[in-house]
Amino acid sequence: MAEEFSTEGMLDMYLYENGQLLEQMEATTLEKKDDESFDEATINEFFRIMHTIKGSSAVMMYDNITELAHKLEDIFYYIRESHPKHVPHMEMVDYIFQVTDFITGEFEKIKNGNEPDGCPDELIEEIKAFLEKIKNNIEKAGEKVPEKKETDNVAQYYVAPVANVKSQFFLLHIYYKPDTQMANLRAYSTIFALKDIAEDLQYTPEDVVSNAESSDLILAEGFKMLLQAQASKEEVMKLVDTSSEISSIEIDEISGEDFLKGFAENEDNNEVIDLVSDVSVIQERAMAKQKEEDKNEEKKSPQPGDYVIKTKEAGKKKVLAKQSKENKEKHQQNFISVNVEKMDSLMDLIGEIVIAESVVLQNPDLKVPGLNLSNFQKAARQLTKFTSEMQDVIMSMRMMPLTNVFQKMNRIVFDTSRKLGKEIDLQIIGETTEVDKNIIEHISDPLMHLIRNSVDHGIEDSKEERIEKGKPEKGQVVLEAKNEGGKVFIIVRDDGKGMNPKKIFQKAQENGLISDKMVQSDLTDKEIYQFITYPGFSTKEQVTEVSGRGVGMDVVVKNIQEIGGRLDIESTMNEGSTFTLKIPLTLAIIEGVVMVVGETTFVVETSAVKEFLSIKETKFIKEPNGEEYVMVREECYPLLRMDERYHIKDAGQEPDKAIIIILEHEEKKVCVLVDRLIGEQEIVVKPIPTYIKRVDGISGCTQLGDGSLALILDVGGLV
Amino acid sequence: MEENMEEYEEDTQEGKYLTFRSGNEYFGLEIRIVQEIIGIQKIAEIPETEDYIKGLINLRGKIIPVIDVRIRFKQEPFEYTDRTCIIIISVKNTVVGLIVENIAEVVTINKEDIAPPPSLTHGNAKNKYVYGLGKVGDSVKLLLDPEKLINNEEITLFERVTEEAEMATEEGRSE
Repeated sequence: MAEEFSTEGMLDMYLYENGQLLEQMEATTLEKKDDESFDEATINEFFRIMHTIKGSSAVMMYDNITELAHKLEDIFYYIRESHPKHVPHMEMVDYIFQVTDFITGEFEKIKNGNEPDGCPDELIEEIKAFLEKIKNNIEKAGEKVPEKKETDNVAQYYVAPVANVKSQFFLLHIYYKPDTQMANLRAYSTIFALKDIAEDLQYTPEDVVSNAESSDLILAEGFKMLLQAQASKEEVMKLVDTSSEISSIEIDEISGEDFLKGFAENEDNNEVIDLVSDVSVIQERAMAKQKEEDKNEEKKSPQPGDYVIKTKEAGKKKVLAKQSKENKEKHQQNFISVNVEKMDSLMDLIGEIVIAESVVLQNPDLKVPGLNLSNFQKAARQLTKFTSEMQDVIMSMRMMPLTNVFQKMNRIVFDTSRKLGKEIDLQIIGETTEVDKNIIEHISDPLMHLIRNSVDHGIEDSKEERIEKGKPEKGQVVLEAKNEGGKVFIIVRDDGKGMNPKKIFQKAQENGLISDKMVQSDLTDKEIYQFITYPGFSTKEQVTEVSGRGVGMDVVVKNIQEIGGRLDIESTMNEGSTFTLKIPLTLAIIEGVVMVVGETTFVVETSAVKEFLSIKETKFIKEPNGEEYVMVREECYPLLRMDERYHIKDAGQEPDKAIIIILEHEEKKVCVLVDRLIGEQEIVVKPIPTYIKRVDGISGCTQLGDGSLALILDVGGLV
Repeated sequence: MEENMEEYEEDTQEGKYLTFRSGNEYFGLEIRIVQEIIGIQKIAEIPETEDYIKGLINLRGKIIPVIDVRIRFKQEPFEYTDRTCIIIISVKNTVVGLIVENIAEVVTINKEDIAPPPSLTHGNAKNKYVYGLGKVGDSVKLLLDPEKLINNEEITLFERVTEEAEMATEEGRSE
């Protein structure tokens, strides 16, 4: 038992839960970064997040994280309670990011098995100074002390004199759900939540942190606490009832004498922890300082710091703030993390069920003439419906929208543009495009480089330069994702300077990438742009903090190639550059049209299909050299007979059903003749085993609903 | 604990061969490489591949290429029936299905009962995949080298010559 309960599990939970909180916080901050200030709900949310992180980090004894979270919490607490008029929003955002970055960095260290040894002192000092700055901005001293706490879920900053007449005594008895994991940890977080109001606190079992087995005891007998605090029963209740794992709480008000008796059953072992002194001392100091500062009733002018992005168009806001706040909160609760291996085996099982199902439903035993199967058929239809739904759900589980990755890019643009002093509008299109989880992990870094490049190298250095060229003042960067030609395209486009092929060519020659004899006209512009993906290649004369060292593009290309993707670069001088990541369709779900030729089933991506035609064979135009064409509305398309192309036997049995599909790939069109159409469906793309050599025009295969396999046509390889 | 299990399994697999019939001969595959045996399934043909690669099957969501052993041995193709089986083997991370007429049995062949194959000079197609002849009672099983069996490249003449030479020296050593 004790072995099972290693800190590993605790650590995992700590990292996971708080990681999620940080992400949530970052996303919200980004969403609101261009507003005038954070609204009250957001401040409350942030306060809660920092409070949680502070608490759980303290449990894990990560003092640096605790301290930092505590400082940031102070700021939110102050804003919440005192409603200062002038909070330099940009600075606030900046500090939030610095803190989330720091903590995320520490988490990374913990994940890698290192000690989180980052020193946040400097940041803490800065935040302290910032807090004071806000405080000084308050106009009237009267505003300082909040009369009522509107949202007080955590009544935290009571200075706690040890013996006070107003103190209440409570006996708390908390029961956790029987399947609660690490109940001792949960119990400790409850202690922690109460620490701030507690004047005195005793609890049993008293060794919740050090002894993992106390978890069992807590589950069996509940967790008992004696609390002395200046708070009402409801307030205590609110503080305690933060965990969904709690099944019931009993809070009884008791007399001081009872309190002093402690837990009657084993008084001797009870440890009385004095949480009060340290907290109260700190708080007293803080209060004193606050009072002093508030005496300076100076009114300060609004702080500088909002110099980059101040407002944004309504349209953009919509894109970024996709989910409403309530949704987000719910989301957080509704996620569970699952081992990918389990998902894989689930997916395999479903495949087997589908096959087994078709074996049952098409069982030859059922084909006995004269059998009344109407009830069987009814039940079978039901079963088919459920299995196919189940299959859909499981397949979709592996797929994740790019939303998160794209939001991260938002942050990159924000950081980079601030550092460089450029104004950038980032437009995000198609962020709901879904790709496999594995792919998401691989594209985050390359995308980051591309975005940075666009902001740094792409967009002009000054507004004036842009205005001169007749461009909008702000640099436009577009991040777009879409499914095309069986691939996922992720496009980073800027309307900046564009690249100069001549310059790149010269540089390539200087670096010895091409021989001196070559002239620029030997290569197409597209080929020349590819040089920037070579290691150590940068035409930017000045190395900036952000980019220009020539590492980056080669990393981008390497990462993309690892997942079998490609990077296409297009650019026009003075108009901007477009970087297109073409990620393979591996495991991406695509909409496909299913068709049959002879015994072979093919699937072609729906987006490549322009039209279906039914034309009599006599209308085909035949060239003497054997090539055939089809005339459709005055346009002539080459005809491709699938059976001839792939030497498929037994094709064209039913000429009536034969159909022509017009496929398009990058402006080129081709008519494909197939035996018959089956329909359209969502398919999960699987690679053809490498054992089989590549066949032109076939890019993968997929499992159809009945468990049979279909080949996926690569339209690019056909035209 | 688990490691012990593995070792134990390894031991029980030692010297065991799965035998199957193809044409008139019986062939043996080391049981170690056999993952499972399934009945014949619907095979999705892949155009423009070698004739012995019959296509792909879907085994619980895994896409596995299948080889017709008869065609691989350049024998007459045969009709697939209920008795036809697919042996799923895994060789150096490549998973391949072998279509065989029917499975015979699992036999134990001791090392000393395995003789090198006859000279290849007049050998027919199937002999180049055979690395040994296993004697089980009165019958002889042709033991297959799975790597050669599934390898896409036809063995070149040069390789055959060198292999023969190696074989000859090995024979010399063992005698």
